[in-house]
Parts: sequence; structure tokens; C-alpha cells
Amino acid sequence: MEKKEWNKIVPLREKKRSIGWETVLKKALIALGCAILAFVFLFPIVWMVSNSFKDNDTVYAQMGSLLTFLPPSWNVGEWFVSYEKLFSEFSNFGRSVLNSIVYCSVTIVMVLLINSLAGYALARFRFPGGKMMTTIILILMIVPVETSVVPTYLILYYLGLLTEPLNVVGYLLPGFASLMYTYMFRQFFLSMPVEIEEAARIDGCSRVGVFFKMIVPLSAPIFATVGIFTFMGQWNEYLSAQLIMQNEQYFPLQYYLQIVNNANPRDIGMVMAALTFSTIPIALVYVFCQKYIVEGVSFTGLK
Amino acid sequence: MEIENIVDRRRKGHFRLFGTEYNIRESLTAMGFMLPAVCLAIVFIFLPMVISLAFAFTDANMMTIANFNWVGFDTIARVFSDPRVAEALRNTLYFVAGVMPLQFFAALGLALILKHVSHGNKFLRWAFFCPVMLSLAVTSMLWMNLLNRQDGLINTLLLAIGASPVAFLENPSTAMPCIIFISAWQGAGYQMLILLSALQNIPKEQYEAAEIDKASKWQQFLNVTLPGIKPTMVFVFITMLIGAFRICVQPMLMTPGGLNGATMTMSYFIYNQAQEYGNFGYSSAVALVYTFLIATVSLLLRKVLGGDNQE
Repeated sequence: MEKKEWNKIVPLREKKRSIGWETVLKKALIALGCAILAFVFLFPIVWMVSNSFKDNDTVYAQMGSLLTFLPPSWNVGEWFVSYEKLFSEFSNFGRSVLNSIVYCSVTIVMVLLINSLAGYALARFRFPGGKMMTTIILILMIVPVETSVVPTYLILYYLGLLTEPLNVVGYLLPGFASLMYTYMFRQFFLSMPVEIEEAARIDGCSRVGVFFKMIVPLSAPIFATVGIFTFMGQWNEYLSAQLIMQNEQYFPLQYYLQIVNNANPRDIGMVMAALTFSTIPIALVYVFCQKYIVEGVSFTGLK
Repeated sequence: MEIENIVDRRRKGHFRLFGTEYNIRESLTAMGFMLPAVCLAIVFIFLPMVISLAFAFTDANMMTIANFNWVGFDTIARVFSDPRVAEALRNTLYFVAGVMPLQFFAALGLALILKHVSHGNKFLRWAFFCPVMLSLAVTSMLWMNLLNRQDGLINTLLLAIGASPVAFLENPSTAMPCIIFISAWQGAGYQMLILLSALQNIPKEQYEAAEIDKASKWQQFLNVTLPGIKPTMVFVFITMLIGAFRICVQPMLMTPGGLNGATMTMSYFIYNQAQEYGNFGYSSAVALVYTFLIATVSLLLRKVLGGDNQE
């Protein structure tokens, strides 16, 4: 150790105030790198959105130039030709949008109800098998179940839920109970103070009453997080729709997309319009519910 | 988690089970709360496991689903001698070996970039995260159009600079690398977010302490940053790996039929056997063998990597 002058204050990090050409170059390189990365991640999406505003001829005419990444004109009124064509040429497209909305709403309500009740029971009640159930949930969550889609299909077959109108029930039912969401609810309820519930109980409120009148309003964040994740999962669901759905009328949107994509002759403008349209709700959820999503992501990430 | 439930436990009617005392009324209410979830979980989570286990020992297919035969280990033995399964497994391993380093280091790199770049941070975060918002179906169809042999954007650009167009998704040798790139492109933003929140949770004091010790930036990265996010990295790695083993929708949509086996992955094979050919017994047998494989791999990894404090 060399001896230091006792009265000289040495700053922890000596910052270079003078901006040499090396720093400028370094900054420029970093900026360039970031720009290239951002381009790689964004260009397909920009292309999808911008081409959804064009008709098929314009798409092909502008493909080779930079115009392909820009909207067709600055007149917003002309942008929606492909969307109009999409809804008129594929008569069931609008219907599949409605289907997806209905499927999502039903699933969200049922998932929130069923899993929050179970999570509350696991967190607050003492009953035979309660602790064992929590352990079972944790074990089953780790076991990777490879393509449970097929056995689920067999179960639906035995339940007789594969014939035409009933397969909608068969499509939604398996998604209602979720180990992950039950566990998330349990963890959240455990972190809430018990005292308020007990006060309400002493005042004569029933267990069910406490749950719906006190717990539900107080745990809006967890309901929002689970609801949003359920929405995204259900909206983007593809595999079991392909296995279970038969009639175009009941197709959810994501599955209907491949009808538009495989249509002959292929109309790129229309395909991009369909893809963009099906992504809008998810994008809106990400923009407006960012807080809950980050919470959910860090929950799944940190658990 | 002992909760003193002062109202219920004062009520009459207790019973003992395995040495613990329960209140009858409380237990009944709890059963009522649990009933819908338990019923659904038994039918749609537990029973599928049992069914796929049981069907692996039958010769059930679309025709004989009403009266199938129990054939013991015959179906499972077929799995090990089937060249298509071997090829599917090879393809899956190829995909995993390709996508894991690409996606993992992309996610880590992006998270580090976001931690250090302050100008335009918000824009970059959104840019990297954008692909995550697309569903698997949308991603697949978008890239099908971008990589189309005749009129895709990429091939138009290749033509414009004088190169010859490439049949990206029709050629068995380029299809899998494309699927790998597209999967990493779509997934990296999500893991980036998880890693970034872990990076931001590393206490500043540790860096200050390292700086007092005159540690270089690289030493700080090795000795503060990496240990700080190790549990998260292990978690991300394992979930990413299990997800990679499950690859199914992308090859299914982008290369229908799996290009005569060149892009047929295990999950796609299991699904295809059941959906296309109705071979439920055989499909279940493959699924059973594959589940054991994945479970072994992930358990081994958990043991080896340690560090992730699950429960």
C-alpha cells in the first residue's frame, strides 16, 4: 500500500470532462449498434402495419423501395381499403372477432372466480388436505406435461363435448382451472393482513361475504394481473382450436387467420390487415396495463 | 402460516384427523371454495396425465377408439425403433441447440444494453419488446410472407442487390435456421424484461464497493452483475429450455407437413400423429417417452445449476 496524502480528497471516479473524438466515436458506434438492433426487432412489425394500409397492387409496387415501410399516403381516409375488403370478402372474419371476444370474456370471468376462490381457501382456511394441496400444486407446476392437448382431446371425446355446438364448451372448459393462477392468488392473499377479515367476521359477516365484500375489492392488482394474463393466453390460443373446432362460424380469431393467409390468390394487404387487426387488442393491453404485466412477469420470474 | 381464526375455531363441532384439529364448519366452507377448481383440475390437469399414461399401453386409433386393446409395452417399444421419432428428436435437439444460445444471449445482451444506455432507453425497450406482443400464429404468418419464395420482402431485397432468391422455408437446409431465428426474435424480449428487472434489483452499494476496490468494468460485470442475477438467469434458462423443447406451432404453420421430416419436431410429431392420423395410442406413447426425457433434463439442470430457489 502506498502512502497517501491525508488531506487530498480523491474522487471515486475521475470523470473526463473533455470530449475527445474517441468518446464521440464510441458514442456514435453504440448509437449505431442500438439503431441496427432496434431495426432488426422492429422492421417486420412496421412492415406489417404499413402494408395493412395498402391494397395489394400498392404492396407489390412499393416492395423494392423504402416506401414499403411507410403508409401509402398522408390521407388517412385512404388507409383502410384492405380492412374493408377483409371484412366484406371473409364474411366470417367479423364473426371470429366476436367469437374471440366472447371466449376471452367467459374465460377471464371463470378463471378469476374459480382460481381466486381456491387460492383464498388455500391461504386462509384450515381444512383436511389443505397443505397437501399446496404441495401438489407446486409439484405439478414443475412437471412438464408434454402436449396435454391430445389427452385433453380424448377426455373431451369421452365427455361427448366434441360435437358441433358443444365443442365451444369443450374448447373453453380445460382453461378454467390453472395451478399457476391458484398459486398466485394464494401468495397474494397470504400477504394481506388477517385482522380486517377477522374484524368483519366478528361483526357477523359470513366467510363468503368476507371474500366478496372485502377481499375482492382489496386485491384488485392480483385480479388485474391474472385477468390480463388470461386474456393474452386465450386470445393467442391456437393449437386446441385447431384440434377441436370444425365449423368456421365458431373459429376464434387466431385460428381464422390461417384461412385469410392460405386464401388463393393471396392478397398481402389483406393478410397484413388481418394480422394487424388481431394484434391490436394485445398491443393495447400492453400499452395500458404495463404495470400489471411487469408485476406478473416478475412474479413468474422471481417465484 | 398459522392464522388464528378466532371466529370459526370457537364454534362447536371439531374433529381430529391425523393429529390435527379441524373445525367442521370451516372445513365444509373450504371444500365449497375449492370444489370447482378441484373438479376441473382433476378432469383437465390430472386426468390427462393418467390418460396419456394409460393410452401409451394401447393400440387405440381413430377407428378403434371405442374398443381398443391393451398391448403392454408393444407401442412404447415401437417408439424406440421408429426412424421418424429419431429424426424428430434430432430436429428438436437441433432447434434447442440453435435457439438456446441465440435467444439467451440476445436477452442478456439486450438487458445489459438497456441498463447502460440512457438516451432513447424507453424507445429501445419498446422496440425490443414489440415482437413479444405478436402471437405465435401472427409471427409465423408474418414471416411466411416476409420470407416467401416469389414475392417476400427479403427475397425482393436480395433480388434488388443482385443476389438470387432463396427458398427459405421450402428448403430443408434453411428452414430450421429460419425457425430458430424467428423464435429467438419473438421470444427474446420477454426474457430480456425478466433479466432487466433482476439487473435493476442489484444494490448500487455493491458497485460502489467494487469501485472503491478499483475493480475494472469487466471485473465488476464478472463479480457483481453475474452473481447478482444468477438465480434469475438459471430460472430463465430452464424455462426457456423447456419452452424450446415444446416447439410446435412455428414449424406447423410455416412448414406444413414438416418438409418430409426436415422440420418435424417432437411436439409437432405427437400432435400430428393424433390429429392427422388419429393414432392416439402411439401419440401418447411418444408423449410419455418425451415427457420423461424433458423431466430428466430439467431435473438434472436444476441439480447442476442449482441457485434457483424454487419454493
